[in-house]
Amino acid sequence: MSAEMLAMSEYGRDPRKHHFSPYADNGGTTIAIAGDDFVMVGSDTRLTNYSGILSRNQTKVFPLTEKTMIASTGCWADVLSLYKDLQAKLTLYSQEHHDEMSTPAIAQLVSTVLYWRRFFPYYVSNMVIGLDEDGSGVVYHYDPVGHMEKLRFSSAGASVAQIQPLLDNQLGALNMKDAVPPKVTKALAHQLMHDAFISAAERDVKTGDSCIIYTVTKDGVAEEQVKLRRD
Amino acid sequence: KITYFQSILSYNGGCVVAMKGKNCVAIASDLRFGVQLQTIATDFERVFEVGPNLYIGLPGLVTDTQTVAQKLQYRTKMYEMREGRQVRPQTLMAMVQNLLYERRFGPYFVEPVIAGIDPSTNEPFICAFDLIGCASTPGDFCVAGTCEENLFGMCETLWREDLEPEDLFEVISQSLVNAFDRDASSGWGAVVHIIEPHQVTTRRLKCRQD
Amino acid sequence: MFQANTQIGDYLVDEHGRKIKLHFDHGTTTLGFKFQGGTILVADSRATSGQYIGSGNVRKIIPITPSLLGTMAGGAADCTYWERVLAKQCKIYQLRNRVHISVAAASKLLANMVYQYKGYGLSMGVMIAGYDKKGPGLYYVDNDGSRMPGNLFSIGSGSIYAYGVVDSGYRWDMTDEEAHDLGRRAVYHATHRDGASGGIVRVYHIKEDGWTIISEDDCTDLHWRYQDEKMASSSQ
Repeated sequence: MSAEMLAMSEYGRDPRKHHFSPYADNGGTTIAIAGDDFVMVGSDTRLTNYSGILSRNQTKVFPLTEKTMIASTGCWADVLSLYKDLQAKLTLYSQEHHDEMSTPAIAQLVSTVLYWRRFFPYYVSNMVIGLDEDGSGVVYHYDPVGHMEKLRFSSAGASVAQIQPLLDNQLGALNMKDAVPPKVTKALAHQLMHDAFISAAERDVKTGDSCIIYTVTKDGVAEEQVKLRRD
Repeated sequence: KITYFQSILSYNGGCVVAMKGKNCVAIASDLRFGVQLQTIATDFERVFEVGPNLYIGLPGLVTDTQTVAQKLQYRTKMYEMREGRQVRPQTLMAMVQNLLYERRFGPYFVEPVIAGIDPSTNEPFICAFDLIGCASTPGDFCVAGTCEENLFGMCETLWREDLEPEDLFEVISQSLVNAFDRDASSGWGAVVHIIEPHQVTTRRLKCRQD
Repeated sequence: MFQANTQIGDYLVDEHGRKIKLHFDHGTTTLGFKFQGGTILVADSRATSGQYIGSGNVRKIIPITPSLLGTMAGGAADCTYWERVLAKQCKIYQLRNRVHISVAAASKLLANMVYQYKGYGLSMGVMIAGYDKKGPGLYYVDNDGSRMPGNLFSIGSGSIYAYGVVDSGYRWDMTDEEAHDLGRRAVYHATHRDGASGGIVRVYHIKEDGWTIISEDDCTDLHWRYQDEKMASSSQ
């Protein structure tokens, strides 16, 4: 090999650092609101990669048991593999115990599963929603490595900053003089969730197309899809 | 220990929101002056009176807030003396654009928001700029500052057309307070100016102090 | 190759090619001190990710056994996970030995656990407090594996403010009420000055017969209460 060719080849180049980037942010927003005997969870249906739209009809809420669901947004690859992992664990549990895992138990399981990947985390914002052993609605919110918090309402994903202050105000009755938090009915939860998604779709490119709202009650899961702006 | 240094624009914290109503406008801001997470003062006004019905909010780096406020005061006073009349909101907008674009390659780190009523037509006017003077004049509301996203979410949902002054006060106050309660570097008190053709009402809000 | 000390955030790049840090850390004020009447633990309840306040209602004082408490500063998940593991170990110790574990032993279990992960990027600054046959106990443990006993610790971004208040009012022979008030005031002042601390000030007291929750006050209520006190005392 001549000296000239060596200079031109890949080997002759200056040392270069290559970056491995295993994460993507595929956007998406989820909201969950718990009531006395139900829990409502919604997600938008847009899946993005930077400014490209991968799907306009992809829910981010997945069933775990009859009365428990998980809402996951963030890196879509991690969303899928986390869900598969959880499904496998829940199947094993139900076959061993001849019973479905309770919502609080699932909540703790999700926390632990997330922490097992502490040094290479699932890049996912999760909420576990369902009915607890008394039949009342619960929402659990997680950070990517499994810190868990039990709440009455929460949002997660791309548009949390837009949505969470609104939920604090309307459901938590924060900064309302002498106001008590309202009784959460299905109508109120549905209305608020819809409004929140419309506002988020207006200002956030990673949220839009439509929202799917699931209502979990002791009788099962009801599903409804509402349109949002598609631009 | 890792310290998260964000942008210069969020070094001191603070936020401003302006809204249009029916024959009125409102502008509101928080009162915190901080250095990153440390709160230095909780009575720092970042909204300034430019004329009888004209206000400008200057969220961003506090040193530039003060510089821009003083330079604008100088320019508006000179304008009033030379022209013998009040500055109109549209004129102030052009002035701010010129002032900011003069520093195109070494900008002032402020994102101004103007709210006012045109003295000749009584038309409500709001506008917002980026830090080098690109203005936008939306028909509903303008937000700027560290909790901009939170403010967008609140305003987008609470704002309606043709709000009367009292309702406008409620909407802008709730939008601002609930937005900055989810932000670690804004809050600690708020001031709201409701501007009508013949009067300006200024109120201070009782807020969380953490 | 995946290096031991590589933070996961090092992989994240935003649309401009700048590195993004994935923050699950949060600013905090936690405070613990021993005095004549036992051990006091006080903490705020705010969780922040960057500027955004993720939660205003976190429990940063975590029960380990009925007579042992742990506090939480740094990575929320790190603290809750490892203190849960510690709770398991303490329960097993009690079943094996038929005695409650001492504060010294419990804190050392935790220190040894996190020392195994030294350099892996855990983020914890915790206090382990309790009561055993030696009397009130208080230990500081962090992710470097450091562990030390002491009478007074404060951890977190608001600790500098809390120390200022506690140092000026601390005496060994305080009454229980004085101690609760001192702790509450210290953390309240920290929440006022520190952007990353706030929410609810929770006061816990550990005595010979275990821990109790003394109070849980919203920072804003405390602010106006203290403000009124100041006004009343200055007008006299």
